[in-house]
Amino acid sequence: MTSMESPLYYSRQEFIETDTGNKVSRRATIAGPQNIILGGKTIISSGAIIRGDLRRSGPGHAVVISLGRYCLIGEGCVLRPPYKTYRGAFNYYPMKIGDHVHVGAGSVIEAATIGNWVEIGKNCVIGKFTIIKDCARVADNTVVPPNTVIPAMSLFGGSPGKHLYSSSSSSCSFVSFSVGHFIEDLPETTQEVVEAETKQYYSRFQPLS
Amino acid sequence: MASVLYHCPCLSTSSTPPPPHLPSSKNSFHPLHRLFFCEECDAVRCNRCVSVEVSGYYCPNCLFEVPSASVRAEKNRWDSSEVGITFEKPTGLAAQLQKLEDSAPDALEFDRLKEHFEPILRASSLSPSSSSALPAAGHSRHHSNPITAAAAAALARDIPGVGKHTPHTRSGRPSGKDRSANKDEIPEYKSRVDISRASTYGSGGGDVDVDFMRRLESLSEVASLEQRWMYSWSTSLETRDLRPLRIPLHSKQSKRCPACTHILIKPEQKAQSVRYKIKLVAANYLPAITVALPHQVEMLGHISAEAAKRSAKAPQDDDRDRSGLQAGKTYPFHMALTNPLYDPIQVRLSVQRMHVAAASHGEGSAKEKTRRPPFAISIPTAPFSIAPFAEAWEYDDDEDMFGLDDEELEARLSGREKDTRAKSKTVGVLEKKANVTVVGGEVALGKEAHGEIKFNMLVAYTYRSDDPTPSDGHDVSPSKKAPETKTFAFYTVVNLGMIIPKNEPRLEVDEI
Repeated sequence: MTSMESPLYYSRQEFIETDTGNKVSRRATIAGPQNIILGGKTIISSGAIIRGDLRRSGPGHAVVISLGRYCLIGEGCVLRPPYKTYRGAFNYYPMKIGDHVHVGAGSVIEAATIGNWVEIGKNCVIGKFTIIKDCARVADNTVVPPNTVIPAMSLFGGSPGKHLYSSSSSSCSFVSFSVGHFIEDLPETTQEVVEAETKQYYSRFQPLS
Repeated sequence: MASVLYHCPCLSTSSTPPPPHLPSSKNSFHPLHRLFFCEECDAVRCNRCVSVEVSGYYCPNCLFEVPSASVRAEKNRWDSSEVGITFEKPTGLAAQLQKLEDSAPDALEFDRLKEHFEPILRASSLSPSSSSALPAAGHSRHHSNPITAAAAAALARDIPGVGKHTPHTRSGRPSGKDRSANKDEIPEYKSRVDISRASTYGSGGGDVDVDFMRRLESLSEVASLEQRWMYSWSTSLETRDLRPLRIPLHSKQSKRCPACTHILIKPEQKAQSVRYKIKLVAANYLPAITVALPHQVEMLGHISAEAAKRSAKAPQDDDRDRSGLQAGKTYPFHMALTNPLYDPIQVRLSVQRMHVAAASHGEGSAKEKTRRPPFAISIPTAPFSIAPFAEAWEYDDDEDMFGLDDEELEARLSGREKDTRAKSKTVGVLEKKANVTVVGGEVALGKEAHGEIKFNMLVAYTYRSDDPTPSDGHDVSPSKKAPETKTFAFYTVVNLGMIIPKNEPRLEVDEI
């Protein structure tokens, strides 16, 4: 609907479009591209950094970061696989991101798994080995500590050093100055809403001709 | 930004929603995707009016699905990290900590309270006066349904006092009730701890606390208010006395229609599944309406194009308000209606008459100025059609026309032609594409207009009733020879955004 939503133009020179419709900015830093999988119709914005080079030690081919379809990695985002020292050996672990996942500008992601239909706001920090289930949402400026599990259909928010107000108007949260935590359940239609939004975003994202 | 919210009558008998400028309007209008639809009642339902039941519990930390029986038996689960408490074994932490908890003053006090009241409860539940009064109270309710009646009965059974003090018991004849109340008179309770000595336990402001504060070396030794807030009992001020809290379990919920108790939402058993066994949401029944102001859309496109040319970061959000609406001017707006049904629908729109007196009521000083309607809305009043939803269009790609047969293709192309021909007119049907119809409206702002442009709009749509044989025995249609079509009407509130008062300069508009 061109009369309802304005296109989001990008410069044709800046983006590389793949056969499967992925659009990757030339201004993004894609390290170790052989270890990165993009599902198709996924947009990597300018200034994003994707560290496919941080692979598990050892021989052979390893997928470090995989993204599904209709994903958006916002401007200046950092995707970095999680790491830990297990039995004396330091290692990186793969990061898997599902379909219809939008990550807002300036966020840093070190999650282990992100499900489908997930929205992550701007300027978030998603700590190491975080698991984000389907249809979850992380509000802007949220700091999610390492190893957090975000259940399906839930809204997370909160950042240390910032006052917090629960979005459900009934309860002004007492948990001020707190890291990312559960705020409320999302509506049952979240899957359809997010799927429609991510598809619409992709169709609005057009080269300027 | 412009928005459209949908009205939920919440079992109210009044068919008209509150005027858009009343604060109460906010409570009865919701985004379409948050609403439910009851097929039996043929009505919209919202989260405020549905009845909610827990259909399963899970731990938000480890996502373990806790059986309902153990939720009742074992209370809850623990987070035991980073505290100086050692456990003998890694499982059943709650049971291991129970010993500590049981000796806490609040637990002991609670036990004492229970000991004191339990014999009284038992005695009164056996007495005939209360048990006979209860069912009568339950049945006198206006719209008593089985669920609330059962809940009321259970509550009254467990706490006999409640049964006697329900508002349904007429206050006119208190004599008999009072006598029975006297019979169950409750003896005085003596607390275990003398409240005047409570300060010796800390945080009561007594000598103990003063002493602790004197020896304080670091601020972190004092537990913050948030950390102590959760306890029902006054606790020690010291951080080292804090113990892990139980993490409340999360639940998956089923939702029922408040009127007919039919299930509207029933999630799958698995905690992390996002699928539903039953999901009757309004978005699958009512046309979705989005509203946009073409001059704003154009400007946003322009800004985005400029940014792409300079290959700069497209400015977002904060620029959206730049193309605001100025008082004294007339603006066109577009509404896109999307048909979720597999049959075509006929839609008729009408603007609810504004009660200006009501709208301006309570604004005090501004009352004089808003006496006249601050804006006038014109929208197409003739009915128009929206094509059915078809699976082929789910493939969102615009250029993807391979799935369509010639007829559909032609329809789509002609729809586009119509768009170009209709460019000149503002009010009317502008564009038809797939299962979306775009109509144009116009808003004329008064010279003294201010505030938000919000108006209530009634949407009535006629659809082909697809089941001539109503489902299993619930024959609600008045006659067997029911008409082929049915009409459903609902209210929306359309918000076109803020008006920029005339005397104020437009915000940095020259910069663009």
